[in-house]
Amino acid sequence: MDSAPSSGGVSTPRSSLAVTFAVWNALFLREAVARLSATRGAWVLIVLEPVLHASFMLLLYTVLRARSVAGADVAVWLVLGLTGYFTVQNVFQRAMGAVDANKALFAYRQVRPIDTVMVRAALEALLGLVIMLCLLGGLALFGRSALPDAPMETILSWTGLMLCALGIGLILSVLSDLIPEAGNLMVFLFRPLYFLSGAIFPLSAIPVQYREWAFFNPFAHGLELLRSSFFPVYHAAPEANFEYLFSFAATSIFLGLALQVRFAQKLRAQ
Amino acid sequence: MIIVDDVHKRYQTPHGAGRWILKGVNICIPSKVSVGLVGRNGAGKSTLLNLIGGVDTPTRGTVERRSRVSWPMGYGGGLQGSLTGRQNAKFVSRLHGFDSLHAMAEKIAYIQDFAELGSSFDEPVRTYSSGMRSRLQFGLSLAFDFDVYISDEATSAGDASFKKKASDAFKRIADRSGLIMVSHSDGTLREFCQAGIWLNEGQAHWFDNIEDALKSYKDSISK
Repeated sequence: MDSAPSSGGVSTPRSSLAVTFAVWNALFLREAVARLSATRGAWVLIVLEPVLHASFMLLLYTVLRARSVAGADVAVWLVLGLTGYFTVQNVFQRAMGAVDANKALFAYRQVRPIDTVMVRAALEALLGLVIMLCLLGGLALFGRSALPDAPMETILSWTGLMLCALGIGLILSVLSDLIPEAGNLMVFLFRPLYFLSGAIFPLSAIPVQYREWAFFNPFAHGLELLRSSFFPVYHAAPEANFEYLFSFAATSIFLGLALQVRFAQKLRAQ
Repeated sequence: MIIVDDVHKRYQTPHGAGRWILKGVNICIPSKVSVGLVGRNGAGKSTLLNLIGGVDTPTRGTVERRSRVSWPMGYGGGLQGSLTGRQNAKFVSRLHGFDSLHAMAEKIAYIQDFAELGSSFDEPVRTYSSGMRSRLQFGLSLAFDFDVYISDEATSAGDASFKKKASDAFKRIADRSGLIMVSHSDGTLREFCQAGIWLNEGQAHWFDNIEDALKSYKDSISK
């Protein structure tokens, strides 16, 4: 029976849903403030980092005199891959640290460990989306065609990517709290995903016999689908499909939620 | 009314399950009564407060809150070090459903006024001294109306002027709502509490008069 005052002295208990929304609202704003004002000009760096990264990669590709990758405009192709991948990485890595960073707030019984993970993932997904739109907008100003060819598929693949990252984040948040060493190890193990997801090279370039291994990685599916939704002519790796992306998302989210429920009390402990 | 039914509690330690701290606690705390919790160190006073406050769950048994119960005050937690006093106050207001501009401004003004932190109210909480933290925590919990307030040594920190203010506030609380408090000072307990709970060897004993609770406790240690 969670009940807190809903107004002045009236003692009507809020519904569980109302309490949860209040918690999400409070946590979201708390996380956003902490993220965007952590250091001087933190928000500038958040936008600048992917811009610099993409520009550097673009420079490399230009030196190699490539104007198109697998039939797509290099600049747009790189922006999609890099912002897509970094958003995914931010979602699961920041979600992993969410419980630990908010331990002080578990003094309020309304706040549950899972709330902190969900809210952080949502914040990172939103930041990533804003950054991607900024970069694509910038490219459009330079006269590149930066509008998706199949917008519905863009939305679907972005959603799928974020859900997969949320699922992994939920699992890692429990693991890293129960076994702190596991968290550090995971960060290390997930490093190669940057390459394996095809953020900076086309996955269709991998020889067929090895490609099926690369496509065990859901982010490879997501990024490839995101790119093919943008370009009318794009030679995507044929292995990429929505079924795998969303099955992975559903499975990992289910597993993550189960772990969160099972270890809720342990995560709460100071 | 708070109903604690056959509550057992033990904590997990790195070496497996720890000792039983509470072994079948059965108490029923009426709403408008101020209760002092006494017992020796490690008897499970803070544990019981956390269970009542819903911050922790019992290993066995149930705790039923049939009224609005505050979070444990003076718990040390509840404040995010990287955020300012004001941001923490906003967080707690939103958490309790006061997210409209007007309602929140009212709560913030009350907290700011009570805590008397001056310009430090807009500094990160991690720069606060323990007395300043205590001022903020006290202001936070008083800003919201609860039927029962839970206090874990909340009055122990702070300077003379704050102690006066805190004790006046506690008196007002004790008049209009319930209070469950842990304190190692007999004076504090006698000042605010009518009834008492004595925790001994994992069991809770209820006394209608705090004096009787203190007496049983004193007798048990003089043996």
